[in-house]
Amino acid sequence: MAKTFYLEIIASDRIFFQGDCEHLVITAIDGLLGILAGHEPLVTSLPTGELKYMVDGEWKHAAISEGFIEVMPDKAVILADSCELPEEIDIKRAEEARQRAEEMLRQQQSIREYYETQAALNRAMNRLKISQKHFR
Amino acid sequence: MPNIREIRERIESIKQILKITNAMYLISSSKLKKARKALDSTEPYFYKLQETVESVLEHTPHMRQLYFDKRSNIPEEQRKKGYIVITGDKGLCGSYNHNILKYTEEKLDAAADPGNCYLFVMGQVGRMYFHRRIKSGRKTYVDGEFLYTTQNPTLYRAGEIADIVLEKFKNGELDEVSLLYTDMVTSGTQEVRTVRLLPFERRHFGKAEDGTMKKLPKASFVPSPEKVMDYLIPNYAKGIIYGAMVEAFCCEQHSRMTAMDAATTSAKDMIRELSLLYNRARQAAITQEITEVCGGAVSVDK
Repeated sequence: MAKTFYLEIIASDRIFFQGDCEHLVITAIDGLLGILAGHEPLVTSLPTGELKYMVDGEWKHAAISEGFIEVMPDKAVILADSCELPEEIDIKRAEEARQRAEEMLRQQQSIREYYETQAALNRAMNRLKISQKHFR
Repeated sequence: MPNIREIRERIESIKQILKITNAMYLISSSKLKKARKALDSTEPYFYKLQETVESVLEHTPHMRQLYFDKRSNIPEEQRKKGYIVITGDKGLCGSYNHNILKYTEEKLDAAADPGNCYLFVMGQVGRMYFHRRIKSGRKTYVDGEFLYTTQNPTLYRAGEIADIVLEKFKNGELDEVSLLYTDMVTSGTQEVRTVRLLPFERRHFGKAEDGTMKKLPKASFVPSPEKVMDYLIPNYAKGIIYGAMVEAFCCEQHSRMTAMDAATTSAKDMIRELSLLYNRARQAAITQEITEVCGGAVSVDK
């Protein structure tokens, strides 16, 4: 049994995961970041992306959108806007969101609207990618 | 003796109103259930966010950062203060709207110069109220393009609001931003609250209670503390606004439910009293008729 650390993943609408974890891999702003027990204290923000963590020798994947992580010597906390398992992702909804965002991008928009739509598109694509990759 | 027809019409109209208040009671109680669920599931995030950001700040090296800038070179009278006020979209919810509006008014009265206060009002009731106030000569500025509803709060809407105020803060259009909302203390009691959003304060910066510097391990920030803060603070603001929106929505539904419940009860009481009155009047009329008939019969007999 590998050494574990306490991991909390809290999404804005629920507690996604709480418990001991052996290995955590996150997508930080500048690339993938692996965290094992005894990692140095670290704070970084997480863009929309993928997340995987190992519990009892088994990798679990999740789609995460916008958040940050705080790693302390004894524990790690991830706070995110949303976090979903591949099988929880509503592919239809994500697909609709993607189409809506693409449609919006074709319109003329203000800069703020443009960024917002782009972020929405990003989230939808990420959900689709992860559900395709890990859910059959 | 009151007119029988009048009483009957009155009872009918009260019954109609009773139907409305009762329906509103049922609607708001089911909405409250939904809002409570949302509140319960957001609360861990809300508290954890505050806790984590605080602990992150303890480990943050001192730095100059945009959102920490207190702008102390601007004198108190000239500071531009922004208030995000969360009110309801509808009335008929007891003192809920009244309390938050009164509280906001107090804040404005206490401000050094109400002309430097900028209101961002969420919810139709508050918006109408402050627009009317401006017409009657108040100097406070209300953002007319800030049109957000308080129904069914979403994180996305909170994000938009956070973006708007953060941008104004960045451009120097605002020097301080606070959030005024109603907080659900326990399921029965509500309290109007102010939360300071910007500039960002670090409350326990590196100092323990006895005034000595705490020996905290400095966390490393990837890629740099400034970059992380640039990202973390908007996120934090979004989370706080969302939490406040959920709390306020829950409070609104709760007040509406109580108000409508009270209205239904008093309507029922009124109907009871009026039907008593009605029956009495009816009986009196019948008695009178009988006496008249008897009197007539007696006079015919004679």
